Amino acid sequence: MPETPEITAATQRTLQGQRLKYYIENEPAGDRVDQFLRAFAAVLEFSDYRPLLDSYCTSSAKCNRCAVSCPVYLATGDPRDIPCYRTNLLLDIYRRYFTIGGAVEARFSRSFELTDDVIDDMLEVFYRCTACRRCTRSCPMGVDHGLITRLGRYALSLIGIVPKALQVSVREQLEGDTHNTSKVPKEALMNTLEFLSEELEDILGVTMTFPVDQTDRDYVFYCAVSDYLMEPETLMGNAAVLYAAGDWDKWTIGTGNYDGINYGLFYSDWHLENIIKRLVAEVTRLRGRNVLIGECGHASRSAHDFVPVFGGKEAYPVVSFIEYTLDCIRKKRITLNPDIITERVTYHDPCNIARSGWIVEQPRDILRSFVKNFVDMVPHGQENYCCGGGGGLVSVDEIHDFRMEIGGRVKAEQLQKVHADIVIAPCANCKKQLKELVEYYELPCKVMGLHDLILKAIEIPGAKSPAERAEEAALLAV
Amino acid sequence: MPTFEHGTIKIEVDEDGFMDEPSEWNEEVAKALATTEGVQELTEEHWKLVNYLREYYLKFGIAPMIRKLCKETGFPLKKVYELFPSGPAKGACKVAGLAKPTGCV
Repeated sequence: MPETPEITAATQRTLQGQRLKYYIENEPAGDRVDQFLRAFAAVLEFSDYRPLLDSYCTSSAKCNRCAVSCPVYLATGDPRDIPCYRTNLLLDIYRRYFTIGGAVEARFSRSFELTDDVIDDMLEVFYRCTACRRCTRSCPMGVDHGLITRLGRYALSLIGIVPKALQVSVREQLEGDTHNTSKVPKEALMNTLEFLSEELEDILGVTMTFPVDQTDRDYVFYCAVSDYLMEPETLMGNAAVLYAAGDWDKWTIGTGNYDGINYGLFYSDWHLENIIKRLVAEVTRLRGRNVLIGECGHASRSAHDFVPVFGGKEAYPVVSFIEYTLDCIRKKRITLNPDIITERVTYHDPCNIARSGWIVEQPRDILRSFVKNFVDMVPHGQENYCCGGGGGLVSVDEIHDFRMEIGGRVKAEQLQKVHADIVIAPCANCKKQLKELVEYYELPCKVMGLHDLILKAIEIPGAKSPAERAEEAALLAV
Repeated sequence: MPTFEHGTIKIEVDEDGFMDEPSEWNEEVAKALATTEGVQELTEEHWKLVNYLREYYLKFGIAPMIRKLCKETGFPLKKVYELFPSGPAKGACKVAGLAKPTGCV
């Protein structure tokens, strides 16, 4: 990489002062301290967070081992970006105002007091965290700093402090006409599916009409709705696998709800639950049997972890498209041609599916089955670094510079060092952030979805061969 | 809510300058909004893109898939960025009077 100067993530003192500011729709008026304490009290009353906070209050040793695991801290070197510091903001409030010991201590000595300055601090630092939860794995006391970020954001959101971008998206999903975060009306969805069918016919030479509102199917499909605007190749790759596997009459898209996005995972238990219930209700309406989640990290995690929690008697099994595709390969229901992809390919783990160890080896097994030149970044898998746009940050356009300079700096450094032609990121969120990073740092690699690459190599009976398709694509590119 | 003024044009916009009331859009508004995107003059090619977006938006209530936009206008994505440096979703849509995209876009 001759032209791009070496990107280094090692503590950039110059970045220390860079603040993060996001739009807030309705700034809370009046006494924010009082409002926050009431909101936090309500959260504690109607949840099970108390035992956890009690435990963290005694176990959190502030040893700062988490510091060097955090990509944001690695970029800034700012003590405010140390996960323990951030967590302690909320623990201090809990200790002082919601435990007997804290109340007694406050009577007899000068102890911590919640002020407007602390609210301002939380408002910023809880959104400087990308909720990637890498620090959680390095904490010797097992403190889940990502969960505390989430809880802090939850309480703040109840007094109106939440990035406008997340708030308007969730509002549209739960209360709007379209029921999805990108306001894609049903008519637009139908038009897009028609367009994708035409594209598939051009590329593959076979006709596939997307199944919509079909009942009694094995799979009801949910991608991040933004894929219907931004990621045609991912969707066509998904379709190609279903078609080649002979499952074309076993899946459907529901027009009552076609958005897998759940920003509740990032800032609100309340929204998380309601969005899951909507998703489940659509599967029930269609008498579907499984939830099939497209390429999206947080959509996969929120459905996988919370359909069983909030789905009640309708807790349908949740299948990630990556798992589905690997299963098709193992059962020899699809064939990927190993001579098509000659580029050097790497894989970016989306935090929401990799951190827990759920989906780490599956995509690599898929890639190694047809990519000759596969290389991993260091570190990767459960220890991966966040793209820098996690936790909903990628949707907040006005913090683009923060995501490039700070949140994504370590990832950019990794990408530069791995020297890959293609980076695969099976997540709508990561794809957008990584594409912006590649552009920002002028890195000579291409960001793609996993199924974008599969689309190039998949053998489909009765269709043009992958080699023919590659030839045609090369001609078009000239 | 901020107000955007340019010459005789006065419209309500959001923090990033996207129209609040897309129904108030007309060609004069487009020309005014283009100046905020670093486009001083709307050429025939700009109009082809803007008009296509506008028509699609009036019919379907949202912008088309970017791939579809490129295919239907005949402009490769690179060309779209040349015309509107901040890209199709931000620059071109703003000038065509669409609201700011929401969600993971």
